[in-house]
Amino acid sequence: MATLTRQDLNFGQVVADVLCEFLEVAVHLILYVREVYPSGIFQKRKKYNIPVQMSCHPDLNQYIQDTLLCIKPLIEKNDAEKVVVVIVDKDHRPVERFVFEICQPPLLSISSDSLLSHVEQLLRAFILKISVCDAVLTTNPPGCSFSVLVHTRDAATRNMEKVQVMKDFPWIVADEQEVHMKEPRLVPLKSMTSDIIKMQLYVEERAQKT
Amino acid sequence: AEGLAPSSVSNKKVILLPCRNPPSRERVQLWLEARRQYESLQNRR
Repeated sequence: MATLTRQDLNFGQVVADVLCEFLEVAVHLILYVREVYPSGIFQKRKKYNIPVQMSCHPDLNQYIQDTLLCIKPLIEKNDAEKVVVVIVDKDHRPVERFVFEICQPPLLSISSDSLLSHVEQLLRAFILKISVCDAVLTTNPPGCSFSVLVHTRDAATRNMEKVQVMKDFPWIVADEQEVHMKEPRLVPLKSMTSDIIKMQLYVEERAQKT
Repeated sequence: AEGLAPSSVSNKKVILLPCRNPPSRERVQLWLEARRQYESLQNRR
């Protein structure tokens, strides 16, 4: 078994590619399951060898892609502690927060070529959990929208600024109101530990949504 | 909300979000209705 550091094989880039691809599928699915957009804009696609619902609205798809493109350099440098999909009500107050807590090990143990297929299996389990999460969550009020937040460090924002898309897609430091939720109900959905990524997903749900 | 801080400041934890909002549900609904009308016109031809 070979042990490699993060610098070998452009390890960070591989992890960022894998995670951003996963997050894209997850964001689409969350928006579908939580009915943020009309179900008519979603089409069934096959990802991780299972059917998932993905939007076919060009502006929405571009928005999600641009968001993840900006987050990617942070993940690559292991600077993204959490990526959060926040569903907000019509007054822009959070009603649900899907929190992806990400941790990358400093050393990578590669045992075989099946490494990525093992990660794919673990990510599939996340997708399956998201697709049934409406069973454990209460209905959201009408008129909800969403946003994607990233928990990082001040110095790491320099990596984001290098991305070309940032010029047309600027980011700001979030206000307390945009992130804070009073006494949320915590719903753990899934966690995984692999050689290249450790991740857990939980939902914070506002007690009174209406 | 404040803009991204210059690189010289401390390394404290921050939460970032995009300045731009995603398309609204209403705009997406209009797009969907227009697409359905277009598809129904195409089918009638």
